[in-house]
Amino acid sequence: MSEPLLSLSNVTKEFGSVRAVDGVNLDIAENEFFALLGASGSGKTTLLRMLAGFETPTSGEVRLDGRDISHVSPNHRPVNLMFQSYALFPHMSVARNIAYGLEMERLPRSEINARVGEILEMIQLSDLAGRKPDQLSGGQRQRVALARALVKRPRLLLLDEPLGALDKKLRGAMQLELKRIQDQFGITFIVVTHDQEEALVMADRVAILKDGGLLQCGTPREIYEHPQSRFAADFIGLMNFMPATVADGALLARDGSRIAAPLPEGAHNGDPMIAAVRPERLHLGEGDHENRLRGRLIAKAYHGLDLQLHLETDLSQEPILVRLTASEAEGQALETGTAITLGWKAQDTRVFNA
Amino acid sequence: MKSAPLPLMLLILGLTFAFLYVPISVLVALSFNESGLPTAWTGFSVKWYGELARNGDILKAAGNTLIVALASTVVATTLGTLLAVGVEIRRRKGRFLETIIFAPMIIPDIVLAIALLSFFSLLNVTMGLHTIIVSHVVFNLAFVCAVVRARLKTFDWSVVEASQDLGASTLTTLRRVVLPVLSPAVVAGALLAFTLSVDEFIIAFFTAGAGRDSITLPMQIFAMIRFGVTPEINALSTIVMGLSVLMLTLSQRLNRGRLPGQ
Repeated sequence: MSEPLLSLSNVTKEFGSVRAVDGVNLDIAENEFFALLGASGSGKTTLLRMLAGFETPTSGEVRLDGRDISHVSPNHRPVNLMFQSYALFPHMSVARNIAYGLEMERLPRSEINARVGEILEMIQLSDLAGRKPDQLSGGQRQRVALARALVKRPRLLLLDEPLGALDKKLRGAMQLELKRIQDQFGITFIVVTHDQEEALVMADRVAILKDGGLLQCGTPREIYEHPQSRFAADFIGLMNFMPATVADGALLARDGSRIAAPLPEGAHNGDPMIAAVRPERLHLGEGDHENRLRGRLIAKAYHGLDLQLHLETDLSQEPILVRLTASEAEGQALETGTAITLGWKAQDTRVFNA
Repeated sequence: MKSAPLPLMLLILGLTFAFLYVPISVLVALSFNESGLPTAWTGFSVKWYGELARNGDILKAAGNTLIVALASTVVATTLGTLLAVGVEIRRRKGRFLETIIFAPMIIPDIVLAIALLSFFSLLNVTMGLHTIIVSHVVFNLAFVCAVVRARLKTFDWSVVEASQDLGASTLTTLRRVVLPVLSPAVVAGALLAFTLSVDEFIIAFFTAGAGRDSITLPMQIFAMIRFGVTPEINALSTIVMGLSVLMLTLSQRLNRGRLPGQ
């Protein structure tokens, strides 16, 4: 990575005795679509507000294009925020809302009109330019809020739960739309979200935040395939967890069976561990997989593309979740109540300290 | 519990309204009575309104009232609005401030009047229209602040941050975002303040000082009434009342008609 656009070093924010953001280090490159993912209270919103300038770090530094902006006020940063509530000005029309930020830059009227017209066309709201925000649908308001921030051509666009207020179907379409717009404008996006699926679909890189600290940062694939902690593995996607102990280069499961898995360095015999495997990495039959498990099918759910099975096993108190593709499940007699054998590869097993 | 039958409820309602509005209706009717006597109706006439227009004392008092009402409204509306916004921003500091601000609304007028009189005497201020204006600002401030604050309760503060984020300074944000969104409440507050000032008597009476130069309309009516209720007073009262009702209606309209997006 060349010179990063945004660089956070040891950024900490305390509210009284509460440490909302705790020593975050992060580099974000130009043109990246970055997601800050965390549950509520993880500090992701505070971090975003520090980037926008509404909060100043208690310690640490925020650098944009190499310049320390930690104490620059929001109206003097080349950074714009799309608010979760959209925060459209209720007394202004769509066009006036979008023009507002350009008027603050004291651009000539002709240029303002041209740029507003251009972006209205892009978000397909030219016909509604004269409407007030309360005469728009939720999806339209969201697009106006995005246009109002984008039209300023910021170095960095922050989006606070951008799709949170939309219904599920619209959200799916807007995920791709946001990605397309980001690509088209070539502006760095930082999205704050609690929705792991949203983060995986949209972002080039994802950072998982927990209790104010950065837990893991990487591409969606890295985070999904190689979670570095049990929390990350559980937070992103679905995961089966099986308690086990280290025994001679492999793991010994609760039921006494051996689980072949890549062990962490320095694991000693008898260390308690947790073996984890994604539901889609479990396959029907014994095949040539190193690991296998037997369980009783207690429930199955058809999801169109895949079939989800719940198995009762001796490996874990929780039922083991299996996702079979439609073609894999075809022609298989999967009666609830019957015993099923599944296999998985050693390399698909993740091992965490218990 | 069984509720009272409908006819009885209607009767009580009718009596209540009669009690409230019959005296006012009589006053309005008498102001149009040609004879001017409360005992005999001799025909419809607007001659007492004409008499009013020729009465120099009344015109002078009306002028004074207008000056006091306008000046105190402008000052109270400006300060009251800023106060409301300021208090709302700092509201985490507790409710003590709110109590202090709204005190002039609750304190009896007579107490406020005496307090202001003592205050002005203590400072050796020559009293006149200016002291009435200042005194009216005192209670109007509380009313304007209350009306604007009611609106602020539903105000989405994120638009203030949005304005800053888009490059506006604090002052620009106040002028282009906060005030326009609040404007119906500000105008409503101003109309209320104007109305209250126009028919305020006790405080004006105490803080007007000696002499006839700073007599306001309610004071003039009070002075005239000592020689009996003349038809002119009825006419004058009708005008003042009509004006008050108009202002109050306008004020309530504005405050109810929420801005889009609120």
